[in-house]
Amino acid sequence: MSEVVLKVENLETGYGEVQILWDVSIEVKRGQLTTIIGSNGSGKTTLLRAITGVIPVWSGRILFEGEDITRVPAYRRTEMGLVMVPEGRMLFPEMTVLENLEMGAYNKRARSRMKESLEFVLELFPRLKERLHQKAGTMSGGEQQMVALGRGLMASPKLLILDEPSLGLAPKLVIEVFEIIKRLREQGITMLLVEQNVHLSLMLTDWAYVMAEGRIVMEGTGAELERSDEVRKAYLGV
Amino acid sequence: MEAFVSALLNGVLLGLAYGLAAIGLNLIWGVMKVINLSHGAFIALGMFASYFLFHSFGLSPFVSVILVLALGLVVGMVAYFIALHRVISAPELSTLLSTYSLSLIIIGVGTFVFTTNPRAIDVGLGSLHVLGTYIPAAKVLTGVYSLIFTVLLYIFLYKTWTGKAIRAVSMNRVAAEFMGVNTTFILSLSFGIGIALAMVAGALIASVFPFTILSGGVYELKSFVICVLGGLGSPLGALVGGLVLGLLENVLTLKMSVGYVPFIEFLILVVILLVKPSGLLGKE
Repeated sequence: MSEVVLKVENLETGYGEVQILWDVSIEVKRGQLTTIIGSNGSGKTTLLRAITGVIPVWSGRILFEGEDITRVPAYRRTEMGLVMVPEGRMLFPEMTVLENLEMGAYNKRARSRMKESLEFVLELFPRLKERLHQKAGTMSGGEQQMVALGRGLMASPKLLILDEPSLGLAPKLVIEVFEIIKRLREQGITMLLVEQNVHLSLMLTDWAYVMAEGRIVMEGTGAELERSDEVRKAYLGV
Repeated sequence: MEAFVSALLNGVLLGLAYGLAAIGLNLIWGVMKVINLSHGAFIALGMFASYFLFHSFGLSPFVSVILVLALGLVVGMVAYFIALHRVISAPELSTLLSTYSLSLIIIGVGTFVFTTNPRAIDVGLGSLHVLGTYIPAAKVLTGVYSLIFTVLLYIFLYKTWTGKAIRAVSMNRVAAEFMGVNTTFILSLSFGIGIALAMVAGALIASVFPFTILSGGVYELKSFVICVLGGLGSPLGALVGGLVLGLLENVLTLKMSVGYVPFIEFLILVVILLVKPSGLLGKE
């Protein structure tokens, strides 16, 4: 159970001349929910961009299931099972819900399993069943987040990366999103979560990293971090 | 009455071909956000490809059009990597300049090789008797072929994995990459398809009208008018826009000199831009 799926070693990168990440190392273990918390501008998004391959890495390595993927293009990483549910959902607005879900299963590994994946997703989100032929762009924020999560699950992920899944949602829907993350964790899906909702994330997570100014400043189990004075002061406002 | 029926039929048939040319332009804009100023040059290239295949190998344009399609696909994909790949994420001006230089190179070399003497492809298929009027068979085939290619493109875009990937890239390039879509390949393929459609439209039109290496410009302008008319990013709109333009061109010339047609066309362009800038079938 403790096999490492994703390993980021001494990662440094940035934009243009500006370095954002400094010597970042994290690990994600199979079957676990790993969380990265940190305030705006702490480098979380940049770290995810590097992990998914959207921006190049200056130095350090990214290993996925033991394989060095530091120079592998983004679309191949998806094929390997490293799947991203991006911040802001990034649905295909002019496509129907069904087409969006199908696009999730675009990679060759997932295509052959599309039918089972679709059943799994529709069981997880029964509300999408009656909306399958509606254009994704016309749905509410909460429904769109379900499509985005469903689309990620359609890709047969070995690691599902969730970038701020509760951002911009009403409090009731935030709870709903975390209920789903909990269910996915019970199903044994390996996840890397980046969240602003520190309290709910730390309650669920197996292991968490705290980022500040482009560095990992703390790590531990959810319970440990929640007890830590620094985290309480900086993120929980107590 | 007969003249009117004839004008309607001619308008529809040519309109379908104009629509096909415009769909190529539309696809490239929709997927890549590139305004392809080399569109006309490629339309002319399609005319000459068809002409060469007809005079050197005796292939009818309605057979060789498949070869022109394949040629356009390859040329377009290569052109993407030469002229567009490095500037694809740069501001629009870079891609405008890039496709404009592509156009200048094609027209320049084309003028040197082919001169600007008018050419024609006489397929010699005679005329068909339709609804009490005679229409050149080549024109009928041009319209029918254009419609077939349009339908095929539609099926490709909506029913195949690759087609869906093209639509996904047009909506959100980064998200498509996250789905495992090789977006660089899809961008080059889209440019290839756009160019192939331009060349096919050129090849078909060449069987109807005489042409020179400079003729593409006229059809490029028509394509722009059609895209604005139908709405950029809407393939169906391009088809409708093509029909409107084809009909106008043929029906108006019953009553006025051909010289006024471009004036009317651009008047429409200006009016649409003022009244409904998103086009007749456009969104927003």
